[in-house]
Amino acid sequence: MSQSAPRLSMRGIVKEFGPVRALDRAELEVAPREIHGLLGGNGAGKTTLMNVLYGLYRADAGTIAIDGAEVVIASPKDAIDAGVGMVHQSFLQIDSYTVTENIVLGTKLPGPAWRLDLSDPREQVAELSSRFGLHVDPEAIVEDLPVGVRQRVEILKALYRGVGTLILDEPTTNLTPGEVDELFRSMRTMVDEGLSVILITHKIRETMAACDRMTVMRDGRRIATVRREETDAEALAAIMVGRDIDEGVPEAAVIATGVVEDLENVADVVESAEPLRPDPVDSGAVRIEDLRVRNDHGVEAVRGLSLSMSRGEILGVAGVAGNGQVEFAEAVAGVRQPESGRVSIRGTDLVGRPTREWLAAKVAYVPEDRDGDGVLPTMTVAENLVLGSQRSADIRRGGLIDWKAARQKAAEAIATYSIRANGPNALAGDLSGGNIQRVILARAFAHEPSLLILHNPTRGLDLRSTQFVYEQVHAATAAGCSVLLLSEDLDELVALSDRLVTIYNGEFVGEWARGAVDQVAVGQSMAGVGVER
Amino acid sequence: MSVQTTEPTPSPAPVAAERKASGLLWMTGSYVFSVLAAFVVGAIIIVALGYDPVRAIESILTTSFSTSFGMVETLHKWVPIVLCAYAFAIPLATGKFNIGAEGQLLVGATGGVAMGILLSDLPLIVLLPMVLVAGILAGAVWAGIAAVLMVRFGVNEILSTVLLNFVSFQLIDYVASHVWPDAGAGHPATVPVGDGARLPGIGGPPPIHVGVVLALVVCVAVWLWVRRTPSGFEMRAVGANPRASLVHGLRTSRLAGLGIVVGGGIGGLAGAIEVAGVHGKMLEGMQSNFLILGIIVGLMARGSMAAIPVVAFGIAVLEVGASSMQRTAQVPVELVLIVQALILLFLLLSDVVRRRFERRVR
Repeated sequence: MSQSAPRLSMRGIVKEFGPVRALDRAELEVAPREIHGLLGGNGAGKTTLMNVLYGLYRADAGTIAIDGAEVVIASPKDAIDAGVGMVHQSFLQIDSYTVTENIVLGTKLPGPAWRLDLSDPREQVAELSSRFGLHVDPEAIVEDLPVGVRQRVEILKALYRGVGTLILDEPTTNLTPGEVDELFRSMRTMVDEGLSVILITHKIRETMAACDRMTVMRDGRRIATVRREETDAEALAAIMVGRDIDEGVPEAAVIATGVVEDLENVADVVESAEPLRPDPVDSGAVRIEDLRVRNDHGVEAVRGLSLSMSRGEILGVAGVAGNGQVEFAEAVAGVRQPESGRVSIRGTDLVGRPTREWLAAKVAYVPEDRDGDGVLPTMTVAENLVLGSQRSADIRRGGLIDWKAARQKAAEAIATYSIRANGPNALAGDLSGGNIQRVILARAFAHEPSLLILHNPTRGLDLRSTQFVYEQVHAATAAGCSVLLLSEDLDELVALSDRLVTIYNGEFVGEWARGAVDQVAVGQSMAGVGVER
Repeated sequence: MSVQTTEPTPSPAPVAAERKASGLLWMTGSYVFSVLAAFVVGAIIIVALGYDPVRAIESILTTSFSTSFGMVETLHKWVPIVLCAYAFAIPLATGKFNIGAEGQLLVGATGGVAMGILLSDLPLIVLLPMVLVAGILAGAVWAGIAAVLMVRFGVNEILSTVLLNFVSFQLIDYVASHVWPDAGAGHPATVPVGDGARLPGIGGPPPIHVGVVLALVVCVAVWLWVRRTPSGFEMRAVGANPRASLVHGLRTSRLAGLGIVVGGGIGGLAGAIEVAGVHGKMLEGMQSNFLILGIIVGLMARGSMAAIPVVAFGIAVLEVGASSMQRTAQVPVELVLIVQALILLFLLLSDVVRRRFERRVR
């Protein structure tokens, strides 16, 4: 670049995890006062590179320079001392502390050690908060705050420590469209005040909206660094995926680029890219009536939801996380006992029956929390694929499980679903997040479900994996499976759903037919605008 | 122009065989290291106590193998150790801790001895199976109390199994001093069981009781059950991730309860075999320290049902060597328990070292 020294320069960064080379001489250069997008698919190395910068991983080779001076970063403390701050996807906060207490934790406090006086920090937090448009009450208890506000606390934490470079790791995942706009405005203010911001994302639309330059990574390397004015969404998507969009990955790339601003277009592109869906038959394939479900704290999280789905229909449920989606999905999957209401699949009433009977009724559930609810980390891929069908006749011989047959099936699934694993005996816990999701999907689709419940099925997946999931969903609907898709990715919902409903505070608050979705209205509906509480 | 493009090279394919081999190397290496280190520390303690470490260790390690008597005694010790190890390790596979093997052993012995005394006139072919089955059932029911408390009321299984041990001490004291007391024994013990309740011996002299063969059958059966049957798979799944198991239709708490009941049944079998094979009656103190040895073996085997018989044999060798060490080198037998505990500690330490090492490699 033409300026003097770059704010940050990472050169030749190599990082290996055992035999896997996660970063292969990766490069990154960030100018002062710029918002720099770090783009890449699943496993491209974006987060690994930033973890090296933040001192969470130690690089095997390479150099880091900040403002022209080479630095050694061996721990997050070194990173903070060097003016680097990072906001992770999951927040490290103490729930019962106030915003200010969380922000000052770990910093040197003013005043004598025997007396905690937070009035100065509180003023500082308030000042930072108003200066950067990160609206937070410094006195609020953190656990009472919604996710979007907790994220602001995390950003303020970094600003309070005087960062020069702020890394945001997929910050928009849990935000409403309005909150995303606010976040981007705050980022612009930070840059105007002299900071540099690195935005890790796999959403091209975001980088086009917010960034000055972007670096695209793939397979642990920098593929390209481009200025926003010199590129467009299609070109970025092509670089990211490594092949021209026309050849493949139509749907996912279209969605990620955000090329399609209005719905008619999405519908056109997607309809033309997929075989026509069969006409809805048997309009009562899945019936849910007045379902009420309590959450783990005994609070009613689902308040009287009713819906009916036909065979082959995809029903999208849009909503900001924490509005009852988890409880709804678990109740419809037979995992959580509802308070009241009915769920019937092809005429069979299932409420009140044990989970295995729901499985036998061909209900498959792909949970949101993959590690917690989806996988047996200390067991092999083959064993994970058997889970749930361990009593089915086709993998048993003489009462015993035929592991040879199971391993063979697993090998087939590994090939079909392109799971990156060292064969059927690889431990599931050693796989990357995207590959764990492929294992879970392989298991779900192997059940030949009548009702498939997908909760954030493509979160954190790269374009190719996302496209793969969509293809599998279409294949399932073509076979007559009804799909309940709960997602926080509005583009995904719009592209896939035959019908879209919004959930807010445990109730459906809006419904749109395919091709008639107004994204702004959906966003408002998700945020509870026009709903009296 | 600011667009730079480089073609990515495919990352090297991970080599599965290499990883497996290094895992095996680590495992055997850590076992060898732990045993050696434990004996080195043990030797230092022996020297500090003023005894001859060479003679002590020699008699610990060679007694089992130098005479046929030593081998038979080792195998007879191995039976309750390996069964108590399963009593601990099977519930552990579902993530539950059964610390009640000695109570289950004692109650199993009570069940066995009741059959052997009440029906003492029956022939072996009828009575012996009844003794063994009574032992298994009694142990299973005893552990079942803890299992029901856990599944139904959420009572912590560690607490309930430990407390049930104390109840079992009183129970056998009552049976041995009031129900079928042997007045001439000079020690709380029951009268002997009938001949039909005694496990026959094979080979010899001295003969090995058939309980050794039974224990081997249990080893194979447990391995088959845990590795190959749907319910064994379900148990391991619950241990690996109870939440994911629940989501996939497993009845997790029932499976955990089942693990405790099966473990208790095996503990009960250990008691019945001790009655039918070794003592011919029930006596106070017959639980020896099998509970703690079973836990040590179960932990040393690190979740592998196949490793348990092997590890248990090693511990049985040390146990038999201990008494001979006391005779030849005058070192107190308790030293061997110290060595056993040290092996376990070094093994756990080697796990920590391994994790550190692997993190460094990252």
